[in-house]
Amino acid sequence: MASHDRPRVTAERTDKDLQREKRKIDEYRSLVERIETRVAEGGSEADVLDLTSDLLSRNPEYYTVWNHRRRLLLRYLEGGDTSNDASVDPNNKQASPQDYLLDDLRFLIPLLQQFPKCYWVWNYRLWILEQIERYLPRQQADSCWQRELDLVAKMLARDERNFHGWAYRRIIVDQLERLAQEAVHGEEGAGQGSRSQEEFDYTTKMIHSKLSNFSAWHYRSKLIPRILDEQEADDTARRKVLDDELDLIQNALIDPNDQSLWFYHQSLMYTIAPDCPRDSAIVLTLTNTDRVHYYEQEISRIREILEDWDDCKWVYQALLKYAAEYQTLDAGSKVYSNTDMRTWLSKLRQLDPLRSGRWDDLEKHLDLST
Amino acid sequence: MSLVAGPGRGGATQATESVPLVMDKHIKYIQDLNERKDEYEYWLTEHLRLNGIYWGLTALHLLRHPDALPRAEVLDFVIDCMHENGGFGAAKGHDPHMLYTVSAVQVLATLDAFDEFNQQVGDGTNKVGHFISNLQVREGVDAGTFAGDEFGETDTRFLYGALNALSLLGMLPLVDVPLAVEHIQKCQNSDGAYGLRPGGESHAGQVFTCVGALAIAGRLDLVDRDRLGEWLSERQLPNGGLNGRPEKREDVCYSWWVLTSLAMIERLHWIDGQKLIDFILGCQDPDIGGISDRPGNMVDVFHTLFGIAGLSLLKHPGLEEVDPVYCMPKLVTSKFLTGTTTKS
Ligand SMILES: [Zn+2]
Repeated sequence: MASHDRPRVTAERTDKDLQREKRKIDEYRSLVERIETRVAEGGSEADVLDLTSDLLSRNPEYYTVWNHRRRLLLRYLEGGDTSNDASVDPNNKQASPQDYLLDDLRFLIPLLQQFPKCYWVWNYRLWILEQIERYLPRQQADSCWQRELDLVAKMLARDERNFHGWAYRRIIVDQLERLAQEAVHGEEGAGQGSRSQEEFDYTTKMIHSKLSNFSAWHYRSKLIPRILDEQEADDTARRKVLDDELDLIQNALIDPNDQSLWFYHQSLMYTIAPDCPRDSAIVLTLTNTDRVHYYEQEISRIREILEDWDDCKWVYQALLKYAAEYQTLDAGSKVYSNTDMRTWLSKLRQLDPLRSGRWDDLEKHLDLST
Repeated sequence: MSLVAGPGRGGATQATESVPLVMDKHIKYIQDLNERKDEYEYWLTEHLRLNGIYWGLTALHLLRHPDALPRAEVLDFVIDCMHENGGFGAAKGHDPHMLYTVSAVQVLATLDAFDEFNQQVGDGTNKVGHFISNLQVREGVDAGTFAGDEFGETDTRFLYGALNALSLLGMLPLVDVPLAVEHIQKCQNSDGAYGLRPGGESHAGQVFTCVGALAIAGRLDLVDRDRLGEWLSERQLPNGGLNGRPEKREDVCYSWWVLTSLAMIERLHWIDGQKLIDFILGCQDPDIGGISDRPGNMVDVFHTLFGIAGLSLLKHPGLEEVDPVYCMPKLVTSKFLTGTTTKS
C-alpha cells in the first residue's frame, strides 16, 4: 500500500542505479504482459499459474492477478479446460485438483511471512481452503482447516498484534466449529463442537508471555460470555469467573502504565452495568447491592495502586471514570469524597495535558467545578 | 495518468522545527507524480492508480488548486477503468472492485462530471449504482455488509465505501440501509469502538468506516460517544501524532481516521489539536513536497492527502474546508448532499 517505515533518503541515483532500476522495470513489465497475453489466449493452467506465482511473489498487491489465478483454477476444477491434459506437467504426469490446491497453500506460506499485512494474500488463502472443501474429500479438507490454526499461531508468535492474523484466527475457528457441528449432525446441545475453551486457553498463554497484548485481552472478553453460555454455567460459577478475572487483571496492574490492562478492566466493569447487553454479560443476576459492592471493591483496589504509582495518569483516570459510574448506582454512602475527586482531577490535568478538553468535560459531568 | 508512485527520492531528511505548510511544494509534488515512470515503484503501484487519482485530486482541491491537474485527462483515465458491469478497476484492464469504484465516484463528483460521464458512457451512473448495490449481502450471518467483488470477501471498509458512493450518486435507496446499520452495530465493542467484522478488535480505520457509514445513514445516535471518544482520544501520543490501536506507533493516516471520527461525534476537543498540527507539519518533506507517515520517512500521495485533510479539519489557514465523513472538500459534498446526511 502506501509507504510506511521507509526512511527518507536523499542521495541522487547514479547511472548504475538507474540502469539497474530500468532492468527491473523491463523484467516486471514483460512478465505482466506475458500474463495478460496468456490469459487472453486462454493458456493452460500450469503455464499461466507459474507466471502468476512469479509476479505475485514480486507484487502480492496485484489483486487482478490473484483473480486470474482463481479463474484458472476454477476452470480446471470444473473441468471446463481442454487445453491442458498433456501439457500440464512437463513429465506428462497429470496434476490432480489435489496437487493444484495443496501446492497453492504451500506457495502462500512464504508470501504471508514476507507480506503479513497484505489483505489479498490472506483472502486468497481462505478462498483456496473453500475450494479444497468443495473439491477434495471431506477428511482432507478437515485436516487442511485444522492445520491453519498452527499456521496462524506461528504468525502470531512472530507478531503478537498482527491484526490480520487475529481476524484470520477467528475465521478459522468459526470454520472448525462449523465442521464439528456438521460432523455430529443431529446431536443437539449448546456449544456442540465449540472451541471457545481452547481459544480462551490460547489467550491465557499469549497474555502470560506478554501482558500488553490488547488483541489477546480483547478476544478474551468476547470468549468468556460465550463459554459460560455454552457450559450453561450456574450463578456461582459465573460469579467465580468474574471474581477470578478481576483478580487476574488486578494482579497484572502491578505495572499500571499499560493501557491494554485498563481497557480489559473497563470491559469487565462494563459487564456489571445495568444496561450491559445479554451477550456480553458474565453474571446474570446482579442486584444493585452487588454492583455497589463491585464498584467499591475495585475503586479501593485502584486507590491502593496509587500508593506506589502516584504519577500514573491511568490510575486517576480509572478512579474518576468508575466514580462517575458509581454515582449513578444510588449507593448510600460514598467510598470517596468530592475532595478526593478534585485531587484526582487536578493530578490528571497535570499528568495528561494533551486531553485537557476531555478533563474539562469530565469536570462538568462530575459537577466538580467550583 | 498516475499519481501513485513509490517513495522515490526524498528531499530534506527531516523537517526542521516549526516548518510552515509548504503549499506550493505539495502542489508541485502531486503534479510531478505523473512523470515518474522511470521508477520501479511506479509499476508496482499500478493496483492503486485510481485511488491515487482520488488522493491527489482531493489534496489539490483542499490546497485550493482544483485545476492543477488536466481535467480531461483525469476524466478519460477514470472512464477507461470502468467495466461493462458498472464496476471500476484500479487501472485499465484491472478487475472491478468496490475500492476503486468508490474512488471513481468520488473523483467524478469532485470534477462535477456525472453528466459528462453519462454522456460518454450510456446509463453510466445507473450501472455504477447497481454494481455497488449488488454487492450487498442480503441474508445470513453477514447480512447488511458488502462484499468487495464477486469473490465475496466482506469488510466494513466496503460497507462504508458503498454508502459513501451511493449517497453521492443520490442512489442510497438501492440498498437496505437499516440492514447495513444492524451489521455495523454487531461490529461494536464494549470500548465503544468498532472492528473489521463482528467480534473483531477495535481499530481506528474501522472506527472511521463504521462511524462514517452511520453518519451517512443518519444514525449517529447509535454511537456511544463518550466511550468511543475516550478510546479515540487515547490514540494521541506525546509527540502529537495519533496511532490506530493501543500500543502502536503514531502515523499521519491513522491521525486522520481518529481525528475525523472525533469530529463526527463532536469530541474533537478531546485531543490537543495544535500538537497534532505540529506533528503533521513535521512529516512534510520541505524540499520536494509531500507528507510521510512519520517525521523523516519517505512521502507518498496517500499520506499527503490525509495530512492535508487533517490540517484542514484542524482549521489550518489557507486550506479548503474538508467534509470529515467523505474526506472530500465540503464545497463538493454539499453540492450533492442536500443537507440530510453530513451533519458533523
Ligand atoms: Zn500510514
